[in-house]
Amino acid sequence: MSDRPRVGLLVTCLVDFVRPQIGFAAVRLLEQSGCDVEVPLQTCCGQPAWNSGADKHATDLARQVIETFEPFDYVVAPSGSCAGMIKRHYIEALVNDPAYLPRARALAAKTFELVSFLVQVRGVRALNVQCATRACYHDSCSSLRELGVRKEPRKLLSEVEGLMLAELVEPEVCCGFGGLFSVKYPEISERMADQKIVDAQATGADVIVGADLGCLLHLKGRMQRKGINMGVRHVAEVLAGMVGEPALGEP
Amino acid sequence: MNARSEILSAIRARQVTSAPAPPDYHAPTPADLVQAFADHAQLANAEVRFIDSEADTPGTIADLLRARNFPAVVHVPPSCMSLPWHIAPGLTVEATSPGPDDAAMAIAPFGIAETGTLAYPSGTDSPASWHFCAGFEIAVLRAAAILPHMENVIACFKAGGLPSTINFVTGPSRTGDIEQTLELGAHGPKALAILIVKD
Amino acid sequence: MTADPRSFPETSRAALRDPGLRIALGRLRTHFALGRAQAVERYPDWEALRESSRAIRDYALAHLDTLLLRFEQNVYASGGHVHWARDAKEAREIVLAILRKADARTVIKGKSMVSEEVGLNDFLAANGIETVETDLGEYIVQLRREPPSHIIAPAFHLNKEDVARTFRDAHNTLDPERPLSERSDLVAEARRVLRARFESADAGITGANFLTASEGAAVLVTNEGNGDLTRLLPKTHIVLTGLEKIVASMEHAAVLLRLLTRSATGQDISSYVTVMKGPRAGADSDGGKNFHVVLVDNGRTPLLGTEAEEVLRCIRCAACLNHCPVYAAVGGHAYGATYTGPIGAALNPGLMGVQVARHHANASTFCGRCAEVCPVKIPLPKIMRYWRAREYASGVAPRGMTASLGVWAFVAKRPTFYAVATLIAARLLKLLSRNGQVHQLPIMRNWFAVRDFPAPQGRTFQQLWAKRG
Repeated sequence: MSDRPRVGLLVTCLVDFVRPQIGFAAVRLLEQSGCDVEVPLQTCCGQPAWNSGADKHATDLARQVIETFEPFDYVVAPSGSCAGMIKRHYIEALVNDPAYLPRARALAAKTFELVSFLVQVRGVRALNVQCATRACYHDSCSSLRELGVRKEPRKLLSEVEGLMLAELVEPEVCCGFGGLFSVKYPEISERMADQKIVDAQATGADVIVGADLGCLLHLKGRMQRKGINMGVRHVAEVLAGMVGEPALGEP
Repeated sequence: MNARSEILSAIRARQVTSAPAPPDYHAPTPADLVQAFADHAQLANAEVRFIDSEADTPGTIADLLRARNFPAVVHVPPSCMSLPWHIAPGLTVEATSPGPDDAAMAIAPFGIAETGTLAYPSGTDSPASWHFCAGFEIAVLRAAAILPHMENVIACFKAGGLPSTINFVTGPSRTGDIEQTLELGAHGPKALAILIVKD
Repeated sequence: MTADPRSFPETSRAALRDPGLRIALGRLRTHFALGRAQAVERYPDWEALRESSRAIRDYALAHLDTLLLRFEQNVYASGGHVHWARDAKEAREIVLAILRKADARTVIKGKSMVSEEVGLNDFLAANGIETVETDLGEYIVQLRREPPSHIIAPAFHLNKEDVARTFRDAHNTLDPERPLSERSDLVAEARRVLRARFESADAGITGANFLTASEGAAVLVTNEGNGDLTRLLPKTHIVLTGLEKIVASMEHAAVLLRLLTRSATGQDISSYVTVMKGPRAGADSDGGKNFHVVLVDNGRTPLLGTEAEEVLRCIRCAACLNHCPVYAAVGGHAYGATYTGPIGAALNPGLMGVQVARHHANASTFCGRCAEVCPVKIPLPKIMRYWRAREYASGVAPRGMTASLGVWAFVAKRPTFYAVATLIAARLLKLLSRNGQVHQLPIMRNWFAVRDFPAPQGRTFQQLWAKRG
């Protein structure tokens, strides 16, 4: 491996579609940490199909992702749930495919969520960015429980000059997004969002920061419907110093 | 095929996973068994008192009843009739089974240090139902009979043949069924006192 | 008595609107979850204990036939009887036959979830046998003609005023002016009323937390002491239990007991742990002459050898319920089944059928908190997903969802087509937005029912990246 590893950015379907800025923030952070970033033509990791039990679709998409990304030294995604899908669930999905199972294992071993990649693999300790605001951090369930990511985003956010990080009372409770759950059981999803929002408001934060755009879209969308004025940003944008642009869902 | 053979065949047909016999689990053993027992029993809302010998039982029981405004009556199983009750002359000893507001005593052959638990085997001279019928149970336990874990107590019982019922009792009866708030004295005793005999 | 799991969308919506339920559900966090967290913190090596427990349960499931046979042999050797029931109907009929043979007219019950599962009480009532629940929570919901709403706290959804009203209605021979405003008043009244029932009952039915093969014993865990009185006072004692509760020995049960109450309520041990072997022995002064164990299958053995098998490890601690955000939002009644929360979601599609219980497996975000707290490491979300896959593969999933997924997957497997489709959609959505939000769309109505959608930036990342390249 050269000293500038080749990272395939798995930009994630939501970032690609809704907020490319997060992708560019991820690229900046990866390049700053000494990586060469490429973005192969890609669609989706297949999680919506997998979670719905549409196993044929899920395995087709898993193979497509494996083929696309296995040439790289690392695969990095600005999302705990997409990274979790590849790291934990491709092996389950392809358990009966002797040709692809070893390739799934190999890909899983070199796939990372963005912030944990920066801290654990690239050893990033310091940043040179500012963001004078009071923020609270929303851990996604996949980051917490599938990947064990908890300290890394807080570590890097503490390096952001001017940022005051307040902790939610219940950081480990699900926000209610859950992919298609948000549209299959909208009222339950709504209740869970409202509880997370109340927790966030109680911290006095102006901004909710998180690493999974699905959670953030759900929380921001709910706040917009309720007329609650808290900013929502992806952690990559904050760490890359790209907070000049409007926050999520702001005109 | 009857239900039994059908169920067994279904199990045999489907059982695919093999699993090795699990290695023995060893729970951490408290350093001071008697202190650990007392601490855990108190955490479970039992009152714990230390006495020097079994002969102090009648006097201590009289004290306990006075302190809780109970009448000076204690229901005593056959196994405890030979204690020196005359030492506490104000105390009435009843041989009948206790009612829900009565005090009763029992001798616990073993205690478990890990959890502050009393172990009662069923038998003639110690009716198991008494542990549940009384309002206030007073148990006598020798310090040397406090074993580290439930496994140790089971081993002791097995040596003599397992009784038909073993009651492991930790603290008084309780319920949290109303608003998840603890209330003592659901169906068993509202209060439990344990006299640990130092010997 | 129970509602239909198929009504979950309606029942869950109604539950969300119930303010009293909301207050009760708040106690999941402050009481059960906090208690468990403190107990886990205090225990020197929780993960080692958990791993041992998993191994003990897996060993039992892998040797289910041998252990059940050994158990049966030992029960007979102690003078008891063992019965096998393939399904709910058989279980009910076996219990009725035992009671008839014992000429039992009144029955008291210690806690048994399986008796709920097989619909025992109503069946016995229809056959002229009165049953009285003795677990306080079960007694309260029995009086109210409601099903239990939580596996270990059946009256969880009620506040003390509800209970007081219920007692005034049911105990109508008592002084109507009596005070019932304190919880202690309510507990004292239940104690008095039920004591009379204990003393007069002809037979007692309990469940079992564990069955131990080497000893032929059943182990029961209660805080109240009602299980013990149910065993000790009546002439006949019936243990009604799922057959998967078997473990190899009392030593194995002792390990699991450490996990059980700590996971359930945070107590190191419950007030009473009762080990019951056969009928009264010669030397005993109390206990029934007749001892029967009814082993119930009712859909359990078909789970062996499938991806759902691990659900049979369950020791019924309800930690998963206590940590589930969906259960915390809607409570137990919304599920319309005996087993609710994550364990219900993993078990019911197997016990009741994938189509009947489809909402249980689908109403989950897979947040994974249940699997994290499960003392025997059941991979609950994985099993729920398995049921979803079974539903999808057998073609019974809702057609709208299947069709949408099909279209989406078709496009996602064609990256160039996908790139064009998404860049058009991103632009379109941006144009439809006002002030950074999209308020409504003709598709994804359920999203817009409760949320706006933050407007996309208008170009896709890959589109912009290609330009930058």
